[in-house]
Amino acid sequence: MTTDDPIIEINDAAVTYDGGETFVLDHVSMSIERGEILGIVGESGSGKSMFADSMLDAIPDPGRLSGEIRYHRDDGTTVDVLELSDDELREFRWEEVSMVFQGAMSSFNPTMKIGGHFRETLKAHDADVTSGMEFARELLSDLYLDPERVLTSYPHELSGGMQQRALIALSLVLEPEVLVMDEPTAALDLLMQRSILTLLEDLQEKYDLTMVFITHDLPLVAELADRMAVMYAFQLIEVGDREQLIANSGHPYTRALLNATPDIEASLEEMRPIEGQSPAPINVPQGCAFAPRCPLATEECRVEDPVFTQLDDGHAVACHHAEDARDEIALHFDRSEETVPVSGGGGS
Amino acid sequence: MSNYYVRRTARVFATIFAVATLTFGLIRLLPGGPFTQLRAQLLRQGVPASEVDARISNLQNIDPNAPLWRQYLDYMGAVAQGNFGESISLGEPVAQVIAEAVPWTVFVVLVSTILMFAVGIFLGSLQAYWEGSRFDKAFSGLSIGLMSVPFYVVAVISLYVFAYQWGWLPTAGTVGTNVDKELSVPFVLSALEHSLLPIFSYTLGGIGGQALAMRGNSIQVLGNDYVRVARLRGLPDRRIATRYVARNAILPMYTGFLLLLGFRLSGTVILEQIFSYTGLGYYMFAALKANDYPLMMATFLIITVALIVGVYIADLTYSKIDPRISAGGSDEAY
Repeated sequence: MTTDDPIIEINDAAVTYDGGETFVLDHVSMSIERGEILGIVGESGSGKSMFADSMLDAIPDPGRLSGEIRYHRDDGTTVDVLELSDDELREFRWEEVSMVFQGAMSSFNPTMKIGGHFRETLKAHDADVTSGMEFARELLSDLYLDPERVLTSYPHELSGGMQQRALIALSLVLEPEVLVMDEPTAALDLLMQRSILTLLEDLQEKYDLTMVFITHDLPLVAELADRMAVMYAFQLIEVGDREQLIANSGHPYTRALLNATPDIEASLEEMRPIEGQSPAPINVPQGCAFAPRCPLATEECRVEDPVFTQLDDGHAVACHHAEDARDEIALHFDRSEETVPVSGGGGS
Repeated sequence: MSNYYVRRTARVFATIFAVATLTFGLIRLLPGGPFTQLRAQLLRQGVPASEVDARISNLQNIDPNAPLWRQYLDYMGAVAQGNFGESISLGEPVAQVIAEAVPWTVFVVLVSTILMFAVGIFLGSLQAYWEGSRFDKAFSGLSIGLMSVPFYVVAVISLYVFAYQWGWLPTAGTVGTNVDKELSVPFVLSALEHSLLPIFSYTLGGIGGQALAMRGNSIQVLGNDYVRVARLRGLPDRRIATRYVARNAILPMYTGFLLLLGFRLSGTVILEQIFSYTGLGYYMFAALKANDYPLMMATFLIITVALIVGVYIADLTYSKIDPRISAGGSDEAY
């Protein structure tokens, strides 16, 4: 899972809320390539948000994050995010790595105008407010918003989609290198999701951003991402290029997830929910966490946690039976098209 | 929008009109009453009936022999001009008595209510920041204790201890008897000295409730995503504490503040009695004991008007301080 020119390298990142008894992010390693769009997929409670928060060292209290988050600056220097002092961290966030949260509606101070949020952010980072606001207007225009109207509005005067776009503009106002998005479209309707995805692609190109897009909606992110990673039970279980991961996935869970994706054209029999439930942090099974729900599980799976192994070039899977899975679990959608079924699913 | 303000203002006058009418109804409908008594008394003393009628009509601005509608119009007309008649027990015009009493009461109520909110908000936000700490737990207990002690109990105890036992503060009155009633340093000092105990006892009990309200509001605001996002955006803690947490937590308490100002005016009936503090409440109670209807009606009217004005101001200004509420919507303050 190494890349040629990583911007963020996560080594053995773990988050615990009870002093190390259980983990809600279980020793995850991942490296993010400069300029790529990485999609992280996982169901609710699989540790996705923890993964996102750890990149900014922003785990909500009283959680504790351990491991190593290495951030490589443009100029070749490298910092360990977890070693930064409070002031350095304050600068690092939003100037280097910025974040868009799920629920834009609750991300703005309800008694302050949108413009005030931009101005105070610029001031807090000692940026030039005049040129910063100029840039903010440009960003808002890029996102098809009327800058003057949005900046002089209170949050409740904007629609959900407008707030979400304004929040994206706010996260980019200090020109960060990396934009982490945690379920940025979860509260929006399908049309708005789609148009925001298109806007994100444009933004990524225009400002040369690295994006980490976290969602439970596999088909959604599959449209946008260069590379994808799947999380299950607080760990990454499969990482690969989008095409590889969709058409040729090696983990039984990924394949089951693809088959569970609702499709307007698929018949009801073809849609297979995954039996059982994903584990809570206090009862993650020994061995492979997916074993109790996996049709291919053997004694080996129940005893030994599989390590990440290279399956193809740039495609790694944590499964003892990755090769078998490809043969045993057929994907229902037409593989020849090499696209994912466009779904009507989503919304959590 | 402007239509809303017109309607809202018209309602203030309509309410005051209704209250004035009710007070008129009170004296007319109650059997016996002070005027019947006074009339009988004067007649027994041999005062000619025509003079008795003239005196009584002077006292309450009503000619007792005129038809009811005539009496009503006379009374309302006089009230509209600020003429409340003459106090029976004090023999002075009611308007004058009230003009002298109101500033003291307003002073005590205003200062104690502001203090109550300021201290409560300060303590409540500290509690919220250190939620679950020993300070928070101890103070929550204390707040509930304070809330359950009525202010008059605090008043009586503090009067006994500070004024009678230790003699630190005066036991009665608004200013010292030997101080000239004019704006001077000794006058102000004496006034402050006399108001200390009333303000203290009227403030202490209320702090608990405000602190608990502020604590709850702040904890709720602190849990909001926008506070977390603000921290990640690197905003200074000071700005988050004031512009984000305090502002959003205090907003819902604003209406309560204005209403409480009005309500607490009526609470002074007991407070001023305890401290013999000659304010509005003191005279209202005195009027009640002396069957002094003109004075009673006037104090009653003043207190009601104060409450109405409080609600009115709250209604008009809330949309100014909270952008989410638009004037004229269904979200009236009370």
